[in-house]
Amino acid sequence: MVATTPGAPAVRTRSRRRVDEGVITVGRSRAATIAANTTGIVFSILMLFPIYWVLNTAFKPADEVLALTPTFWPKHPTFDNFLSAVKAPLFLQDMLNGLIITLLAVAGSLVVGFLAALAIARFKFYGRRGIILVILAVQLVPFIALLIPLFLMLQSVSLTNSLIGVSITYLVLILPYTVWTLRGFISGIPRELDEAALIDGCSRGQVFWRIILPLTGPGLVATSVFGFIQAWNEFIIINTLNSPEKQNLMAWLLQNQTTRGTAWGPLMAGAIITSIPVVIFFLIIQRNIATGLTAGAVKG
Amino acid sequence: MPVVESTTRRTGGSTPHRAPGRATRPRRRQTSGLPWLLSLPALLLLAGILGYPLVRMVELSFQNMRLRELISGRPAPWVGLDNYTKVLSDTDFWAVVWRTVAFTVVAVIFTVVVGLGIALLMRRVARGVRLFMIVAMMFVWAMPQLVAAQAFRWITDSDFGVVNYVIDKLPGVDYQNHSWFVNPWQGWSVITTLVVWAGIPFIAITLNAGLTQVPKELVEAATVDGASPWQTLRSITLPILKPLLIIVTTLSVIWDFGLFTQNWVLRDGHPEPQYQTLATYSYTQAFGQSRYSLGSAISVITVLLMLGVMAFYIRQMFKIGEVD
Repeated sequence: MVATTPGAPAVRTRSRRRVDEGVITVGRSRAATIAANTTGIVFSILMLFPIYWVLNTAFKPADEVLALTPTFWPKHPTFDNFLSAVKAPLFLQDMLNGLIITLLAVAGSLVVGFLAALAIARFKFYGRRGIILVILAVQLVPFIALLIPLFLMLQSVSLTNSLIGVSITYLVLILPYTVWTLRGFISGIPRELDEAALIDGCSRGQVFWRIILPLTGPGLVATSVFGFIQAWNEFIIINTLNSPEKQNLMAWLLQNQTTRGTAWGPLMAGAIITSIPVVIFFLIIQRNIATGLTAGAVKG
Repeated sequence: MPVVESTTRRTGGSTPHRAPGRATRPRRRQTSGLPWLLSLPALLLLAGILGYPLVRMVELSFQNMRLRELISGRPAPWVGLDNYTKVLSDTDFWAVVWRTVAFTVVAVIFTVVVGLGIALLMRRVARGVRLFMIVAMMFVWAMPQLVAAQAFRWITDSDFGVVNYVIDKLPGVDYQNHSWFVNPWQGWSVITTLVVWAGIPFIAITLNAGLTQVPKELVEAATVDGASPWQTLRSITLPILKPLLIIVTTLSVIWDFGLFTQNWVLRDGHPEPQYQTLATYSYTQAFGQSRYSLGSAISVITVLLMLGVMAFYIRQMFKIGEVD
């Protein structure tokens, strides 16, 4: 999907380009092409502007942040905002909480989800369509709507204001997506591979360990990264269930806003720190998903 | 497919005790409890953390759960349809409903139309420009909702926001210290811009991937036959793209209808009445005013309002064969 694969053969690039241009020029003037390219560039710059402005602000000293005439480049770039964000109360605590919660949720969801995905992808059984329907439907239920009963339920078993309660909630939050995506990856593994292994004398367990699991590897990576992003970005549930010292970085960003008012520099710096893992992960899997999984596996 | 499935199921089901046949025909006759056993943990978790609260939400909406009951732990009294009559006869509630619907319509139209336009544009620009567009959109897509909302809050800040500064530069316009949220029309255009900005990458990139499936021969043939670009788009490209378009549109409807983060953050966690949507309204009733039952009733109504769109989405997923 994305042309980010490094080292793609240059020959292919060139030949495809020629074909591309062939299509573009049919009935299309040079002026139209220039207009299209300009629109594309302007659009991209507009899209990037808010991100650029966050970065710009984060590296400015306080007096430049609150200048009546904003500069489009920090005149005296500084890391002060990052330092004061990290040193702010609860920042590191909430970062650690977020990591623990996210890792627990992703790991749990991966194990549980993989088993369910295996069932849906590899077996025909009564109720299969029903399970698929449930998985698809629960993805659409707005979680905020369930927040009230969830809060009351966790409160009654003393799981509010605990990392465990939120971890379980996040696990379930990312579970439907995990099952659905892994199902796709497992279905992508040709059944002939399973069958060949069975004929060669593998047991069902061996088929799982030696064929399905390794071949789903990239899928597991992509799915867990997506789960990570979802769990890391969540703040409404945790903000409702837990007190500030048991929250994550996103909720910290929200708190920081309401109590401290306009400490824009540190806020933007904190936002960058919080976004970095998500953005990096996102860009990684974007490529991972694009790679064909087992396209050549049958041929050998 | 369903026919095949049901027959295999029946033959398998009639011989539940016979393990043989397994080695020769692996999967087809698999009717043991194994798949259910594999799905069980996931189903239990879904039932416990999603299913039970869903039932409890409906139950709560017929009770009167207030802070008193929450603290004392006493069961909340049943009040029948009281919450629903209260909510449905409340003009504020209806204002929130229409606002949410209007926002959803506007935001979805903008996101899908611009997203489709960008996807089409991506097929026409030079390779380098396309790469630049993809990179820009990937960064926007990767931005956490909360961070994006904070960025927009800062950009539109009345005192030091860069938007005011830039608009103020226009001749004859005074936008110094202009507050974007005094006038709800302006405030909502900021929120809508944020939602559309954040929603475009998903749609444009998905549709662009779909556009690569449109056979070039068809487009070329149409062009040779003298079809205008508009005719080609309407009669060839869009019909092929239709299933994908329906999916991204329904998903956008579902997401935008549940708007919470953007108006919540841009209004500092205390949205004024004219900035409430169904999600924030229900949340404020429950957690701001401890009217848990009233909030639940609003949530139930929200889910019911969305049910049609959800069913449509799921049907579409089955139809295009995402579900085999």
